Amino acid sequence: MKTRRVREHARRGLWRHLRVGLRDRVILLFGLLGLVLTAALALTVWLLVSRYLVNQRMNTVVDEARFNAVSVQSGLGQYGLSVPEVMDRLATSRSSFALLNTDGEWYASAPRQGPRSLPSDLVKLVHSGVPATQRVDVEGQLLIAVGLPLDRSGDAYFELFQLDDLNRALSILSLTLVGAALAVSVVAMAFGRVVTRLALRPLAELTSVASAVARGDLGARLHGEDDPDLGGLARSFNHTADLLQRRVAADIRFAGDVSHELRTPLTTMLNSLELVQHRREELPGSVREPLDLLSEDLRRFSRLVVDLIDISRYDGQPAGEREEVRVVDLVRAAADATAGRPVTAVDPAAKDLVVHADKRRLERVVANLVENAELHGGGCLRVCVDAEVESVRIAVEDAGPGVPIEQRDRIFERFARTGPRRVGGVGLGLAIVASHVSWHGGRIWVEDREGGGARFVVSLPAEEV
Amino acid sequence: MDAVERHTWVVSRTVLLVEDDDRVRRALRLALEDEGFAVDEAATGEDGLQRVTASQPDVVLLDVMLPDTDGFSVCRQLRRISDVPVIMVTARTDSHDVVAGLEAGADDYVTKPLVAKELSARIRALLRRAATAGENGHPHRRIAAGELVIEPDEGLVTRDGEPLALTRTEFRLLVELATAEGRVRSREQLLDTVWGYGYFGDSRIVDVHVARLRAKVERDPAHPRHVITARGLGYRLAV
Repeated sequence: MKTRRVREHARRGLWRHLRVGLRDRVILLFGLLGLVLTAALALTVWLLVSRYLVNQRMNTVVDEARFNAVSVQSGLGQYGLSVPEVMDRLATSRSSFALLNTDGEWYASAPRQGPRSLPSDLVKLVHSGVPATQRVDVEGQLLIAVGLPLDRSGDAYFELFQLDDLNRALSILSLTLVGAALAVSVVAMAFGRVVTRLALRPLAELTSVASAVARGDLGARLHGEDDPDLGGLARSFNHTADLLQRRVAADIRFAGDVSHELRTPLTTMLNSLELVQHRREELPGSVREPLDLLSEDLRRFSRLVVDLIDISRYDGQPAGEREEVRVVDLVRAAADATAGRPVTAVDPAAKDLVVHADKRRLERVVANLVENAELHGGGCLRVCVDAEVESVRIAVEDAGPGVPIEQRDRIFERFARTGPRRVGGVGLGLAIVASHVSWHGGRIWVEDREGGGARFVVSLPAEEV
Repeated sequence: MDAVERHTWVVSRTVLLVEDDDRVRRALRLALEDEGFAVDEAATGEDGLQRVTASQPDVVLLDVMLPDTDGFSVCRQLRRISDVPVIMVTARTDSHDVVAGLEAGADDYVTKPLVAKELSARIRALLRRAATAGENGHPHRRIAAGELVIEPDEGLVTRDGEPLALTRTEFRLLVELATAEGRVRSREQLLDTVWGYGYFGDSRIVDVHVARLRAKVERDPAHPRHVITARGLGYRLAV
């Protein structure tokens, strides 16, 4: 497993190094393949066509030269014309010119050409009585030289043919072929793009569905379970999502059932005990202390159950009902009621600030912080509400021992035990606070209060009404 | 609060407990009796409905989870025969349970584990306003709001002369809005004056009651002309 992964890694190393994605890789490969195939095809076409054209041309020029040679021969022999007359009568085209070698003299149809243009091998061969053709390069121009021996021994007729038009045709052909090869590879890349998009579409869908599930939309499913290629993936993904959804639903149901099952006997216990507490004075003194212990811990237990149910219910519940809440009113009501005395100090600038909040959760935040200060911070000194830029700050101050720096993050974890100061309540109050604050898009931290004690600060996004 | 005052205050106030769990019912009965209430009991919804007609309780404490039928439908049936204040007892504060209970006609709700002391405070709040509606107002007061005529002392509201059947809480809510003379009452104010929550209560109680009130007093509840929402602030009665 490990070695396979290493090899895999090495194989993908180059691509990964270049940071080329799967889609770009496929596109490049398509382009490359297109280029190679069309280049091979173009080369073949070029070779065949050029060979055919050259051969064709050869035949034409040899025929033309042969005709001219006959005409020279008859002009000189039968009609007794002079050499210049014969040369004038030749049917040479613009792209060819003739050379005549008779009586050891050379005559040319064009002034700048002479026997030097002809390769000596050809001249020698023709003088020995053999007709011959040769391609020659004169001043960078490709020419075809045709040599034909005449009847009179020693006489020979040569004709040089320019290949300009042929060369032009061939270069147009090669340009066309190169252009076609490039165009085909571009088209191949475009095709590769379309193909990869089509091929990767299920992957894109998988990505979006998977992230929807991760966000908490447990009902999101992949389409195409009947697709022969992708059905397996879609089915197993959907199956996994089904299991997850069922599991989450079962968890929520379980939390609800536990809630009911625990709250019902708690109701019996709390009410019976309250009744006994009312009759406290009628009981013998020896029973009162255990009664107090029972009563205090039953209240703690009850609070723990409520907190546990609360925190598990809000877990995995991304949405919720929000309303505009005047934060000052809410903090004052919740803080003063929890402390049992007025503790709220309000910055006048914060008076009209409104928070989009779930009121019950925000009340819980304030109540839990004040309760924490009352129980573990030597009593709540005051609760300040201050306006900040686009936010509101709620600070709960106490005069207790403060929170050591190393515990300032841990204190908001569930069931956090803060050292020897084993909290009388349970470690859920502040965890609930932290979870509710982050649900509202706010932040919470704890700092030292000037003059001793701790200050728990909640910052929430707020706006003016 | 001493015991003597409690007892004199709630003399002959009867609470009907509809709760299937025998032990919870017994514990609540003992604790509520200790708080000075007379307690009547029912273990099923069926039994509870019979008791409402038979013993005319002052308030009904109705558990959502009942063996024969759920508390919501019991509450709906109960509303057809009585305007007695109903407090729903839920084990969950999930939106669904609370809102469903209020929409079924409950006046208030409490969550388990409920303690008799808090419970009796809620019951007293419901009973106190029921009493003040008759005793505290100016005699022969009539408030007119369009086609509606409210007579707080008579506990009567008419639309074009036809009497409307409101529960006591709905009526109290309407009177509270009417006495504001067109000014906006916030949800918190209404929770305080109508339900007796000194501390912030659940504003859904107000919203659901307003919806129920509209269903009875408005000709077109979707486009209310009397009970108007003041967005972000609360409610007012157009006069």
